[in-house]
Amino acid sequence: MKTHNEKMNISILSLAVQCALMTIVVLPLSAAADDAAALTRPTNTIEAGSIYSSQNSARFGQYNGLNDGGFYGLGGFDIRGGDGYDQSKNSALRWKLNGSNLGTTSRTVDGSVGDQGKWKVNLGYDELQHNITDSYQTPLQGSVGGNNFTLPTNFGTVNTATGKPGTRFLTPAQASDFQTEKEYVSRKNGSINTSYTFNDQLSAQIDYNHLDQSGAKLIGTGTQGGINLPGGSTGKAEAINMIMNPTSYQTDNVNAALNWKGDKGHLTSGYYGSIFHDDYNSLSWQGAQATGASGCAGSNCYTNNTMSTAPSNSLHQANLTGGYNFTQTTKLAGGFSYGYNTQNSSYAPTLIPQAIGTPYNMMQAGGLPTSSLNGVVETTHGDLKLTNQSIKDLTLTAGFKFNERDNNTSSNTYKYKDLGNAAFTGVNTPYSNSKAQYEASAAYRLTKAQNVTLTYNHENIKRWCNGVVGGAECVASPSTNEDKVDLTYRLKAFEAVNFNAGYSFADRRADAANYLANSGNYANTTVGGQNSNSVLNGGNYAGYVAYPYASRIQNMGKAGVTWQVSQKLDVGVNGRYSYDSYDATLGVQNGRSAGVNVDTTYSYAENSTVSAYWNWQNGQRNLNSGTTGNGTAAYTPNQIVAPLNVWNNQLEDNSNTVGLMTRRGGLLNGKLEVIGDASYALDTTGYSTQVPYSTATACGNSTQLTCGSLSPIKNEIMSLKLTGHYKVHKNGKVALTYMYQKLNSNDYFYYGQQFGTTPNSLMPTNLQMQSYAVNVVALSYNYSF
Amino acid sequence: MTIFINIIMLCGFLMASAHAEGVQPPAATASAKSPAQMIDRDSECTRCHDENETKPILSIYQTAHGNKADARTPSCQSCHGESVKHLASKSDAPDVIFGAKKTVYTPNKAQDQNVACLSCHEKDPKRTHWQGGAHQAADLSCTSCHVVHSAHDKVREKPTQALVCFTCHQDQKAQANKFSHHPIPEGKIACSDCHNSHGSAGPKLLVKNTVTETCYTCHAEKRGPFLWEHQPVTEDCTNCHTPHGSNITPLLKSRPPFMCDECHDGTHNSISPVAGSAAGIQGGLTGAPANPSTSFTGRACMNCHSMVHGSNDPAGALLQR
Repeated sequence: MKTHNEKMNISILSLAVQCALMTIVVLPLSAAADDAAALTRPTNTIEAGSIYSSQNSARFGQYNGLNDGGFYGLGGFDIRGGDGYDQSKNSALRWKLNGSNLGTTSRTVDGSVGDQGKWKVNLGYDELQHNITDSYQTPLQGSVGGNNFTLPTNFGTVNTATGKPGTRFLTPAQASDFQTEKEYVSRKNGSINTSYTFNDQLSAQIDYNHLDQSGAKLIGTGTQGGINLPGGSTGKAEAINMIMNPTSYQTDNVNAALNWKGDKGHLTSGYYGSIFHDDYNSLSWQGAQATGASGCAGSNCYTNNTMSTAPSNSLHQANLTGGYNFTQTTKLAGGFSYGYNTQNSSYAPTLIPQAIGTPYNMMQAGGLPTSSLNGVVETTHGDLKLTNQSIKDLTLTAGFKFNERDNNTSSNTYKYKDLGNAAFTGVNTPYSNSKAQYEASAAYRLTKAQNVTLTYNHENIKRWCNGVVGGAECVASPSTNEDKVDLTYRLKAFEAVNFNAGYSFADRRADAANYLANSGNYANTTVGGQNSNSVLNGGNYAGYVAYPYASRIQNMGKAGVTWQVSQKLDVGVNGRYSYDSYDATLGVQNGRSAGVNVDTTYSYAENSTVSAYWNWQNGQRNLNSGTTGNGTAAYTPNQIVAPLNVWNNQLEDNSNTVGLMTRRGGLLNGKLEVIGDASYALDTTGYSTQVPYSTATACGNSTQLTCGSLSPIKNEIMSLKLTGHYKVHKNGKVALTYMYQKLNSNDYFYYGQQFGTTPNSLMPTNLQMQSYAVNVVALSYNYSF
Repeated sequence: MTIFINIIMLCGFLMASAHAEGVQPPAATASAKSPAQMIDRDSECTRCHDENETKPILSIYQTAHGNKADARTPSCQSCHGESVKHLASKSDAPDVIFGAKKTVYTPNKAQDQNVACLSCHEKDPKRTHWQGGAHQAADLSCTSCHVVHSAHDKVREKPTQALVCFTCHQDQKAQANKFSHHPIPEGKIACSDCHNSHGSAGPKLLVKNTVTETCYTCHAEKRGPFLWEHQPVTEDCTNCHTPHGSNITPLLKSRPPFMCDECHDGTHNSISPVAGSAAGIQGGLTGAPANPSTSFTGRACMNCHSMVHGSNDPAGALLQR
């Protein structure tokens, strides 16, 4: 037996040497393998921690979920896997799971799995809370999201008639009935998306989305202020209530498509369905306006009121889109769709029970022609675009688009009683419109560094109403035509400097002759006064044109430059200016819009940058309008003459934003990264009114104050956010974030909402301005594997 | 010095191995030599462009473009071209260099870059209108927005997408942070929920054919048709709203009654014009009969004409119920 194996000794020796060498040589290679694996295999992360907010604020938390002061859970994950990440396996199967903001009302969770190139399924769930206000107060009792609100029995009535102070004199008992309600709408969105590939040419996809919205938004309501209640009420005080309009909606959207692609073309046929359901068709509330007539005491005096909510409706749409390449340089793309939109939700009740006597019938005898609308709108779309690049450096495009909304809902006469309990005859006018657009464009590369593009666009819009009872016109501008020319120039001045400039001119010509109609009652085509017979220009003064329908000249210019100063430094500056001039004696006369942006980024080290930006925007609008109270005689054009009876109003909107962002990585031997983000924004909106014809006395009228400027609507937002990521070990990071955000809001909107200061007929809400100053600290641990 | 020692040790390793008959090198060694070369089709490129690249080239294997079991998945040269000269000499650029900024090489023209992408993606229904669309006409390349090699392409992820769009659309960035805004900065709505940046048949690259259709995808309660319609509402939501953000909630272009005055003149107003009284009695109107008019205070016209999007109440022709 051979007991001494020299060969084996050598091998053992060599193995020892190899081991030693492997430690030195192979380990770096293994590390390289790890590095490569880290790049080619997904990195999963799980985040857990806590976030603290210092203040209750509906405005601050409206979308980030930090609605109230206190602690929230902070959680998220991003996990991916599947054999499709393993290059040694012949599988394209991959899956992923994501979650973020799990501890707040802004949480999101989704996941997907798919065999790439064959099929894929994605599931998603998302929440969002849209806060309206947390300071709304009302004496009305009822739950947020409900559709019936009643006054407490001890509230009593507010009997002051129009023209005298109202809620300024609410009794202490009435004031004590007010309670605070938080107004918000919660949105929960679930989705499933699937796709399947049959072969190289054919694939299909079905997407389904269910949106659930619950909560309430505030809405203004007028009551039957002049209602002849049993007992003879004609009270009008506090006839306007801000109440909680329920949002109890479900929307189901389905998108199904079959896709085909061949060598030269592709085609997609699809179906889009959108089914909207509102749990309510009406909203009811009690009003406190009543006289102290005999037999009317306590809750018996309240008037019961009803109004409609958003009606359930549906849309079914068939779609066809595709493209065809005649050659590599000549391509055609286009699409067609037809939609069928219906609404047949039952009308809101018109017979309103009252505490005393018979129910109040909002309709006149025989005034309700149908119990639901049976509304039908057909939408049609077509588009076609041809592009050609067969001439070197020249791209030609010609296109056509057509959209039509054809409202085929029946027009009927509805005879009812208005808010003042007066008889009113209304004829519904189902609005239809169509838009046809023609576009031609040529883009030419002048030199290697210069491009110029010239585009011409013609747009024709038609508006009409189908089968209006009585046959009256219903639209201010039955037709508009607009021609637009756009010129864009781009220059690469140097290797690192890009310049662009553009100018466009548009001329819109509206067929805006004074039409003959009586707003609300389009059946009446007899020329005459405002309240009975038809009037010129739909009740507006002759010469008045609503701005979307007025003839207009629009000039727009823009220019910008980007400069890559070095590999580390970028600078960009751009600006725009536009001026719209309307051809209308009355109405919007002109509008301007301007903006400037400056931004720069400096990358001073790997993973380390600092950037700054400034944005300024300004918008102005100038309006002329005829004063009220001139009677029917003012409807003749020559009786509206500036400055005799024309007043002016200017809107100016200003916005300034500056920001500084920085990211510094590689600190503490690469373990620490710091991110900073600071910004300041100031937005103001102001209105100024001039009344050239008014005397100083009239301007100072204590109820109108007809002249002067309003205090601007001002919102000033300051924000600072600092985040640090510290790597505690190979797979673990700790993140610490501090954020301070402050809003200074000043808006005259809130003045008239306060106790004791509301207009004579508005129930106070005590809504508060939504200023806040919030400190937020978040600490989380992020584990990756 | 370390390198020198390593060289000596390596020589020793090789000599020892030569004498170590019957002993095979660890399997790990073979794979560790070229971890990036495991993918044969790309090895011609990844033997140089490996895990040591400043930009993580290999992370493309985490993306759909690196899922090699899908027969459609491209190789490096599918997008960057055969790059024969570059393979021969590093000083020559690959055939197709993506991006906008010059780094080592000058990028190709956007149009040429896009050819590489569109060779596969042009026939996707979402890109039908790329040619002649606003972004194509502005000479953007796909990589102006997309980072193809990254496992997380910011523009394809809802929380970060707007950051990419805002690099050019800076007005919208400022607007999105105004007092009244859609939850875009909070990452709950992405630009692509409303816009198809690859081109569309709608205005402003909207995902649907019209403004109203686009808005109705989320705001279906405004779709109707209503018994009593409001004409500008049926045509274009942006007649009154500015979708990216406003100083006046909810996303309004102006505040009633002034906004209403832009389409309805004095004959429709119970009192006009208006200025200070809109401030309520704090504006100085404190004594009887100094009651500020409800036509100007609070929601102004919409105190009573609150159903501005349309009413389905048979007693609501004037949009009051």
